[in-house]
Amino acid sequence: MLTRGTLLYIGQRLVLIGFTVVAVSSIVFLGIHRLPGDALFNEHLHGTQYELLLHHYGLDRPLWDQYTSFLSAMIFHGNLGESLVNRGVQITPLVVRELTVSVEVGLFALIFTIGLGMLLGVVAALRQNTWVDYVLSTTSVIGYSMPSFVIATFLILLFAVWLDNLTQGTFYFQIGWTGTYGTIGEIWLPAFALGFPYASIVARLTRASMLEVIRQDYIRTARAKGLKETVITIRHALRNALIPVITILGPLVIGIITGGVIVENIFGIPGLGKEFANSILNRDYNIVIGVFTMYAALVGLANLGVDLLYVVIDPRIRY
Amino acid sequence: MAATAAAVITRPIAPEQASLWSDAWRRLRRNRMALISAVYLTLLVVVAIVAIFKTPYSYREVGVALPYSGPSAAHWFGADILGRDVFSRLLVGAQISLIVGVGTQVLVLLVGVPIGLIAGYYRGAVDSIVTFIINVFYGIPDLLVAMILLLLLGPSLNNIIIAIVATRWMDMTRLVRGQTLALREREFIEAARASGAKPLKILFGHILPNALGPIIVQATFGVPAAILFEAFLSFLGIGVQPPTPSWGSMASDGLAAIRIAPHMVIAPSIALSLTLMAFNFLGDGLRDALDPRSRR
Repeated sequence: MLTRGTLLYIGQRLVLIGFTVVAVSSIVFLGIHRLPGDALFNEHLHGTQYELLLHHYGLDRPLWDQYTSFLSAMIFHGNLGESLVNRGVQITPLVVRELTVSVEVGLFALIFTIGLGMLLGVVAALRQNTWVDYVLSTTSVIGYSMPSFVIATFLILLFAVWLDNLTQGTFYFQIGWTGTYGTIGEIWLPAFALGFPYASIVARLTRASMLEVIRQDYIRTARAKGLKETVITIRHALRNALIPVITILGPLVIGIITGGVIVENIFGIPGLGKEFANSILNRDYNIVIGVFTMYAALVGLANLGVDLLYVVIDPRIRY
Repeated sequence: MAATAAAVITRPIAPEQASLWSDAWRRLRRNRMALISAVYLTLLVVVAIVAIFKTPYSYREVGVALPYSGPSAAHWFGADILGRDVFSRLLVGAQISLIVGVGTQVLVLLVGVPIGLIAGYYRGAVDSIVTFIINVFYGIPDLLVAMILLLLLGPSLNNIIIAIVATRWMDMTRLVRGQTLALREREFIEAARASGAKPLKILFGHILPNALGPIIVQATFGVPAAILFEAFLSFLGIGVQPPTPSWGSMASDGLAAIRIAPHMVIAPSIALSLTLMAFNFLGDGLRDALDPRSRR
């Protein structure tokens, strides 16, 4: 599987990702620095104090000069600069830590999405045109029509408000996040909210492609051979039915990354998405640039991961 | 007797006349969910238009009810943090959602269809460039691009629409390009070319009408996507700015008061979900109706 061609392909893709990251951060850097006013606009600083701050952030230099020093610091030292609002906070360690938090939540959501989606899809296909199928099909339309923040809201209402009130506070569910990485008890609710809309899509696709596959001749052969129904379903049918499903993995991963921006803000998860929204609202432009750079890298790497996964699942694909 | 016989004979023996559209309409009518959705959406549009002229209370007037007060006969969906009537704000929010949803799709059609037609018809270098740009846009998460665009342009309804179009135009372009690539090889296009039709006439007179079905379906699915997008942006506080209500920003306000006034978050959430669901059911119905082969 890890042939020379594959390794070469990975290398090429990594170089491409590097270029994309530089391009994206450049666009954001130049775009943000063209905005009228400066980052210290809100603070009523005058005179030398103001001059000193401008000088500290290099904002008194010409744009081109700032840009080249930003690029060289980023590329050669991985240094994304210093927060404009919280003075002295270095951005690189901050966003890297937040990236790992976001990836943690995203991975949980992804596992949940694929697991639940496939399970529902297979069940619906095996019970085609029964009430089970109809209930699951309708649920999946409802599922992908409910934005993740609506699902998150209802989960909070259910677990943190109604159940709490109903049991007079015996059942108390803390919404929020203790520590950097949370606990299993805290993570499943955001993961559910984040993954549910996509689980519906996975379920629909799995159902459709399962229906196609279970009518194939080789399934009949397997059945004639006397194999158990569960073996046929899992090893023969599901494996081939998965191939159309994995084609949406790419959009799905991107969807989970962007959906994370909302869900992190609702559940108070200290990840990249929360930082992104906060930094935009705070006009902490240096962090905006840093977060965007991280997102560009994350999306590139996630796409690469998905493409490599195709090779694992479908042996016909070679790079 | 003779007269009726003559009448029978003179009546043209017409074959079952069914154009694509009447056929599609017949199939759509049989889809109950799509029909219910269409009725709901028509109602929503009417309500939104009426709300331009008259709402029960002004959407921006504070203190018409007790802050956080729950649903009552005077205020159907209660009041929000400033004592504004949630029902009236919901109606104005419907306007915003519909303007964003329909507005973006009109712009997406205006941008995406011509580019897709040209790329698919001329192929070659033009197509390569367009495909490359499409792939670049697909590579970056749309929500982040929209957020950066809004940051650079400043939040306003027009800029929200621009930001959504900038992140969604390529869906339509890709679809139209694919349709054009397939259609341009068909005999009737060749016939049109042979009879000396100008490229513009071929593109908009022959190819576009034949690709209309999938385009309509795509646009129908594009509307809820855009509405959801606007809700996301407003939820994060960088979309529609107060005091103008948007379902997203109303839900965001409500989330802050979820323990004391859950109606504040429930009302916009349900309105949003119902509307998105209706558009999705309608899109499903339209797809089945316009392309019966895709039905499983």
